[in-house]
Amino acid sequence: MTEPVTTAQTTAKTTEPAPPTTEAVVRIEGLCKSFDGRLVLDHVNLEVDRGRIVSVIGQSGGGKTTLMRCVNLLERPDQGTIEVAGKVVHQDGRMVCRDLPGLRRTVGMVFQRFNLFPHITAVENVVLAQRKAGVAEPEALERAVALLRRVGVAHRALALPDQLSGGEQQRVAIARALALRPEVLLFDEPTSSLDPEATREVLSVMRELAEEGMTMLLVTHELPFAREVSDHVVFVDGGRIVEEGRPQDVLETPAQARTREFLATYGATS
Amino acid sequence: MSGLFQVPWSDYQSDLIDALWRTVSYTVVSFVGAVLLGLAVALLRLSKAWPARAVAALYTEVFKNIPLLAIIFLAYFGLASAGLRLDVFTAGCLSLVVFYAAYLSEIFRSAISGVHAGQTEAGEALGLGKAGIFGHVILPQAVRLALPGTNTMLVDLLKSTSLLVTISAAELMSEGRLITSATFRALEVYLVISAVYFALCYPLSQLLLLLERKVRAGVPLSPWRRRRVRAAHVLLAADLGAGADRKEATV
Repeated sequence: MTEPVTTAQTTAKTTEPAPPTTEAVVRIEGLCKSFDGRLVLDHVNLEVDRGRIVSVIGQSGGGKTTLMRCVNLLERPDQGTIEVAGKVVHQDGRMVCRDLPGLRRTVGMVFQRFNLFPHITAVENVVLAQRKAGVAEPEALERAVALLRRVGVAHRALALPDQLSGGEQQRVAIARALALRPEVLLFDEPTSSLDPEATREVLSVMRELAEEGMTMLLVTHELPFAREVSDHVVFVDGGRIVEEGRPQDVLETPAQARTREFLATYGATS
Repeated sequence: MSGLFQVPWSDYQSDLIDALWRTVSYTVVSFVGAVLLGLAVALLRLSKAWPARAVAALYTEVFKNIPLLAIIFLAYFGLASAGLRLDVFTAGCLSLVVFYAAYLSEIFRSAISGVHAGQTEAGEALGLGKAGIFGHVILPQAVRLALPGTNTMLVDLLKSTSLLVTISAAELMSEGRLITSATFRALEVYLVISAVYFALCYPLSQLLLLLERKVRAGVPLSPWRRRRVRAAHVLLAADLGAGADRKEATV
């Protein structure tokens, strides 16, 4: 069912040598999930290879977010196999993963509503999970500061989340997710609650991560951005993958009527 | 003035200090006990298992709807007549603990469930275990939410220790009654006793308000947070000074 994402060399990143492997960091097979008897995901297959960026697009309520949340098992699938970094973590509705915190440190996640811890400063937000993962205090702090610089909010490092703008909060959240050196980053509509200026800030940070070769799975409504950075675009509707492929194909010359309809409503003018 | 104040207070000084100490002891011991029991009841109330929730709800409703004085009499006279003779201090503390734990459990429960669900998810997504999420994410935020109500309860508990006069607990109010029966100067004595309660409660509630404000402002109060923020300050000196976006610096 799933085609390995091997077509990506033709996209924007041709200047870099193609990654030597096509090792999948995330592999999802036959994933089914229902809430209260309503089927939200229906036999979905998805692979994210190392160094690749996969965008999932589709209408709200179509199952994209649930799909993403199954990767770090914030949602438990009813059926199917989930493999992260070469290890099966969930199979046929059974938890196979013995080390759930370990899995979640392998998979970083950025939420739509940031979900920063409001009672501690930005830099403490980035330190907390590192300390719990056993990183020594000085290293954790240095890494937090370096990451906050990298996302451009170091000058606000000692502010509480409430005192930060939405764009700053989301950039701190990205630094927090990066702090554990995850093998893949999940972005769940990271700009949906941001104004255009903040969206621009956050997307520019994500673009830099993409250029550095970070593996990313992205649920987004920012179709031009998905077109620009993704290696692979997946259109999900009604819990199924309707269409997937290279971003220019899916977003510009979609094969399915349903995809065309969606793109027309979302006014993808890119 | 000399007409109103005729009690030889200097004779009672050491007794009053003992009584004050007793009042403070009742307050501290009962409050610590009530917080612990209240937290346990709140956690039971938030448990997934319905029997646990039912037990906790029953506890809360029973002790919220009985007067404290009745609980004190039950603990001291009632249990004694059933063969369980508690000393005054134990009976007094027990009454205050079970009574205030009922109220505190309600405050704690609403504070814990008032922490946004996204916070737990963020903790999970960062690989914090259950204990880590509760200790580092939920509890500190719940404390922030619970502090105003809890502080009110602490001051209320201090004042309620005066009800222990009914079992001659040797705290301030009991001492007041003793002095009154020796001097027949009820107005003077109880004015002085009231002033002592005020002198305890007013600064306490002001101090707690200050604490609330600091906690709400996110001021690091624990030594390890202070150390971390101070160390961050040192590392960030250049960034904080410039105030400019230094994104390019480390790319």
